[in-house]
Amino acid sequence: MPFSITISKLSKHYKVPEREAGLKASIASLFNRKYKTVRAVDEISFNIEPGEVVGFLGPNGAGKTTTLKMLSGLLQPTSGALQVMGFNPSKRPYEYLRQVTLVMGNRNQLAWDLPALDSFELQRAIYGIPSEQYKKTRDEFIDLLELKDLINKPIRNLSLGERMKMEIVGALLHQPKVLFLDEPTIGLDVTMQRRIRTFVADYNQRYGATVLLTSHYMADVEALCKRVIVIHHGKLLFDGELAGLVEKFSAYKTVGVTVADARADLSRFGNVVAQDGARISLRVPKAEASKVTSKLLSELQVDDLTVEDPPIDEVIDHIFTAESVAG
Amino acid sequence: MNPFKLAFLYLRIGVMNELQYRVNFFIQLLQSFIAIAIGLIGLSLVFAQVNELSGWNRNELLAVMGVHILMGGVIRAAIMPNMNRFMGDVQQGTLDFALAKPVDTQFLVSIREFSFWQLVDVVVGLVIVGVAVGLMQTTASLWQALAFVAALVMGALMIYSVYFMVTSLAFWIIRVDQIVNLFEGIYAAGRWPVGIYPDWLRTGLTFLVPVAFAVTVPAEALTNRLTSLTLLGAFGLTVFLLILARSIWKLGLRSYSGASA
Repeated sequence: MPFSITISKLSKHYKVPEREAGLKASIASLFNRKYKTVRAVDEISFNIEPGEVVGFLGPNGAGKTTTLKMLSGLLQPTSGALQVMGFNPSKRPYEYLRQVTLVMGNRNQLAWDLPALDSFELQRAIYGIPSEQYKKTRDEFIDLLELKDLINKPIRNLSLGERMKMEIVGALLHQPKVLFLDEPTIGLDVTMQRRIRTFVADYNQRYGATVLLTSHYMADVEALCKRVIVIHHGKLLFDGELAGLVEKFSAYKTVGVTVADARADLSRFGNVVAQDGARISLRVPKAEASKVTSKLLSELQVDDLTVEDPPIDEVIDHIFTAESVAG
Repeated sequence: MNPFKLAFLYLRIGVMNELQYRVNFFIQLLQSFIAIAIGLIGLSLVFAQVNELSGWNRNELLAVMGVHILMGGVIRAAIMPNMNRFMGDVQQGTLDFALAKPVDTQFLVSIREFSFWQLVDVVVGLVIVGVAVGLMQTTASLWQALAFVAALVMGALMIYSVYFMVTSLAFWIIRVDQIVNLFEGIYAAGRWPVGIYPDWLRTGLTFLVPVAFAVTVPAEALTNRLTSLTLLGAFGLTVFLLILARSIWKLGLRSYSGASA
């Protein structure tokens, strides 16, 4: 199967004016401006197959949004090649724009003063969606996201979560084949996040759409993406299964043990990270996990024992902090 | 996608939206009357001293004032709101959404807004023009009427082009509010026929900010002053400004990187 998205050695450099603090430096910079090149995206390559849902991870400023913007044709790459469904996004052919969509969680495209229904009508006209299809898709989405009572209210009267749901409906009315979702659940409560997640999964299933998603909520990524791509400082750090990410980057396992004697001191077995009565959590190096468990079982009276990977958030945090120290 | 249909849809939605705010209608009405009162007082002050101004008599100047109010209404109803939104989009990075649409972006950012109640000024302007023509006691020929309409359309397109160019500067300097305010000040000079101004100002009002073409030329059509040469020149300048605006826009787009996320 041909790839849906192909990126090879893609780079985007920004030239940003640089000046030191203070009035004197400000005045000097009026005449003699120094520039510094920022490599927002630095030679990254990956392919995504049609219908895949891929999580695009990285700390703030890693280059995620820049990559998404290049993919949706808003930014010209400095070098490298990218192709989506056989199109060159940088040329922004209408045929291409009709088949993709960009959702940015921190920005709205629906008009503030208009009811969502009016904005949807505009989307219909802009994308030239046939009337029947438009009505069917719109009503289906409105049903799925439970927005029926809200479509006639001006956007400004909606809550943040309701507004985001409307944004997503508006962005998907033309049934795009490729979705670029940049923090679609940012700032939303847990229930609302879950609702949006389910909706995206459902859309992906139903329309076989390719989804590239960035999110700081690991729950989003865990629920939606089998595969993740991690970038940091514009460079690709990891591309593979989510489970593999934990495998590769987590040096520790969490051993949970319930012992008969609640006063037991287990610090000789590993780093005690939590103790709740008889339930104790230990952090041990991955390589020693099996040795520690057998030691625990042989030396203590153990009622229950679990060995787990650390939470994904922790792993990610570990990668980024370790990398920023190294880099 | 039919561009006219899309423009009409935006217009319809804009109108429906503004009809909710009736207070705006009365405010607008009040503003228009104040503008007329000031205009009429100005005219009577001038004609208390002289019988004509650079060859324009009282009724003819009334026509100029009518066209000025009319064109001002067009600018505030259809051009200014769009340019303000475009400027905001560049500042906040929401132009991304317009760029991601399968429609010409310049076209899209130029049709999205419409301030319906500003049409009060268009109606008022037309009434004043009508009264002025009536007072002149000459019957307007069909050719005159056509030339008037053509001059108005071209004038509006020229104003749009200049306004659009100035707003496009936002791509480089982000905040262009001040320059846009300046534009409004200059437009106020169109209240009088540009012939009364010294040469340097007249040139500026003709070519830099084409107030001359937007107001004086249509008024010339009504008062039998318009030559085919002027009309042809207006056409040439319209085409030139449209192309120039397009080029500047395209250049600006290249340096647009979106307000970073």
